[in-house]
Amino acid sequence: MKRSMHFAALAALFLFTCTAARADMLQQFAGQKGKIDIAGGTAHIPVMNEAAKRIMTVNPDIRITVEGGGTGVGVQKAGEGLVDIGNTGRALSAEEVAKYGLVSFPFAVDGVTVVLNPANAVKELTAAQVQDIFAGKITNWKDVGGADAAITLYTRDEASGTREVFWEKLLKKGAVADKANVVASNGAMKVAVSQDASGIGYMSIGFVDATVKAPLLDGVEPSQANATSGAYKVARKLFMNTKGEPQGLTKLFIEYVTGPECTDIISKAGYIPLK
Amino acid sequence: MRQTQPCRQQSTRFCRQLFFDRAARALSCGAGFVSLATLAAIFAFLALLSLPLFTQGQWDSVLQTVWRPFEGRYGIVPMIAGSLILSCSAFALAYPLGMGVCLFVLGPGGGLLRRATMGVVTFMTAIPTVVYGFVSVFLLVPLLGRAFGGRGPSLLAAVLTLALLVLPTIVLFLHGSMRETEERTRLTSAALGFTPLQALLLVVLPGSAAGLRTAAVMGWCRALSDTLIPLMLAGNAPQFPDSLFDSVRTLTAHIALVVAMDNSSPAFHSLFACGLTLFGVSLAAQAALRPRSATSGPMRGRTLGLLSFMAARPACRALVSVWAVLSAAAVLASVGALLVFLLSRSLPVLDLRLFFGDTPILAALLGRQPVWDGLFAACAGTLALVILASLMAIPVGIAGGVALFQYLRGPWAAALRFSANALAGVPSIVMGLFGFSLIILLRHTVAHEANTSLLLSAVCIALLVLPYTINATAQSLDTLPVDLRLLGPSLGMTSWQSLRRILLPAAGRGILGGVVLSMGRAAEDTAVILLTGVVAHGGLPRGLFDKFEALPFTIYYLAAQYQSAHDLAKGFGAALTLLALTVLLFCIARALQGRMEREWKH
Repeated sequence: MKRSMHFAALAALFLFTCTAARADMLQQFAGQKGKIDIAGGTAHIPVMNEAAKRIMTVNPDIRITVEGGGTGVGVQKAGEGLVDIGNTGRALSAEEVAKYGLVSFPFAVDGVTVVLNPANAVKELTAAQVQDIFAGKITNWKDVGGADAAITLYTRDEASGTREVFWEKLLKKGAVADKANVVASNGAMKVAVSQDASGIGYMSIGFVDATVKAPLLDGVEPSQANATSGAYKVARKLFMNTKGEPQGLTKLFIEYVTGPECTDIISKAGYIPLK
Repeated sequence: MRQTQPCRQQSTRFCRQLFFDRAARALSCGAGFVSLATLAAIFAFLALLSLPLFTQGQWDSVLQTVWRPFEGRYGIVPMIAGSLILSCSAFALAYPLGMGVCLFVLGPGGGLLRRATMGVVTFMTAIPTVVYGFVSVFLLVPLLGRAFGGRGPSLLAAVLTLALLVLPTIVLFLHGSMRETEERTRLTSAALGFTPLQALLLVVLPGSAAGLRTAAVMGWCRALSDTLIPLMLAGNAPQFPDSLFDSVRTLTAHIALVVAMDNSSPAFHSLFACGLTLFGVSLAAQAALRPRSATSGPMRGRTLGLLSFMAARPACRALVSVWAVLSAAAVLASVGALLVFLLSRSLPVLDLRLFFGDTPILAALLGRQPVWDGLFAACAGTLALVILASLMAIPVGIAGGVALFQYLRGPWAAALRFSANALAGVPSIVMGLFGFSLIILLRHTVAHEANTSLLLSAVCIALLVLPYTINATAQSLDTLPVDLRLLGPSLGMTSWQSLRRILLPAAGRGILGGVVLSMGRAAEDTAVILLTGVVAHGGLPRGLFDKFEALPFTIYYLAAQYQSAHDLAKGFGAALTLLALTVLLFCIARALQGRMEREWKH
């Protein structure tokens, strides 16, 4: 009895400190003024939007703009100083760090999965099949256990970090056929594949919902849990990057997103928070 | 002493007038050459930034047939082919259709239906490109999918939509020149005993040869320079298409997709080669158009033979009539389907929540609380953009038009006219690329804090609509009756006085109409702001140097990546809002210009 009382008290204390910490994080933005421009990785957008919404609701004097474009845009614009935070869906290359002096802040783990239209009968693919499909060697769904229909490929533009992760870790840097349709974001990939019964694409696991289907890859379910445990190999971290060490509002924003208070936003967006 | 006083007064007044006259002349001529300077600047930027390709010997890597930047292959040939295939196919579809519509409108009868058809075609110019694209994504692509199997975007979807987009341009040019010939030759045709259709085939069409060519060049250029339709509908695969159901990427879409590359990479420089190609083609089209239209006579040879062959045979004449009716019906049906679909999907979702989300309206309007989940910020951004761009483009454009009408003669006038027309032909994505590279250059040289922003977008949009204002002003002044022009000089007025007191007030409505039309153009453009400062989420802009939201971009963004039914509803709501805005501006412009025409038509 006494033990449970102790436990309850401890739990209450813990909860109290947690809420205090929550309040503290947002409190730091009070009285601040200015703007933060964010661009880059499209997987990041739901997290950035929700964080921006919370901050701007507490303090309307702060203006946070969020733009997509893909990892390449994040590197280019943060590197050129056109935005304060450039998001990337992959770790920066040594070359990029050296050229622009970017500093990276990871905040979540995310897997990249193949996606199909829910109407597609195919439930499982091997890595070799995926490579052949994207290389244009397999062109009909019946060759991988589906209906007799031509495969429509969807890929991402060169600026996409999701594309780079997929290309390196699943396609093993194999070719992607030139005939593949190109879409500009994770969100657009989901819409495109959900509307095309014979489409195949790839995107962040965080974006998977009922409108698309993620087939098993070599028998492993592409889930964030498996991505975190290492069972699902096609995974990456999501980063925010700044040119030099972040200052002022930007620093606060990054602390907020990487801090304990943002974990629910990150989980809700479908990613695994790093803390 | 008593006598010299008024004399001196008079002479100072005269001096003042003379000074005004000189100043007006200098200012308006200066303004006129803004367009020439812009044209030169765009060319300089494109050339400068594609120069590394030449100096570093990567030129051959750009002239390849494969675009795989990670293998060091930066071929833009597939994109050139894509641009040509798409624009030529759309043109091949739109031109006969447009000709049919014209024959229908000018054909026998002249009833209400014909006038209404022309009205609808004119109205089509008010529909924003992004709205055509948006409706096609949700109406045409699923329809094509159902008819030809479950494919997504395709060359065919883009061709059909683009044909509809360029049709009004073609019809308006054709109709203008054919109606003029028809009025001129009406008596002759009647005297020869031609039926109206025979007159059209044997007299009007051959007599409007120059107009037919102008319509063809303008229509094709419009198809070539569009960014949004291929970007949204063509699939964007960098390949040579084998069939109409394949995916293609045009030069314009390529620029929009790849601008995010590292600024010193060959891929980035190759974009400027794309821009240079587009720029060169549009300039060449303008150049090809001018001298020919001035000197060419009526048509000769085979075309004329074919026309008289057709006019002589009743079966052929019937075929032509059927074709005219069918084209008109097809166009009316397409536009009707577009509007009905848009209205039926957007009206049910239209409410204040769509604009303001859960934010109290007053707090949102005063900017006290940010609006989440509403179109308010996008509407405000578009409004700010249109106002800013107009503030820059209108004074300069009107002054330029005045210079063209009043002050410039000979080669200078020709140069200004050419530069205005050429600037009007510059694809808007190239203008966006120009703005973006301008910022990069400024940051690396004098202004390290320069950034893409509302101001940059407004400047680029202003340059984009400048030629429309210049041409509208010059045209409105040109159509004034001669006695009005002579009135000022005959009263001993300086040219500035005559302009200010007589000509400008008389032409005011027409000029205003042109100004309002160019505001509509500023409101709908998407490709420019795509590269110069628009963001998907950002709230109200607080100043000129902020990034901003805008309606056309919101529509484009949501069409590709709506994440919920609510997002989709927002897309439809935004499309309807933008359409309402451009149609309103269009109606005001038409009313003003119509009144001006009635006032001075004899």
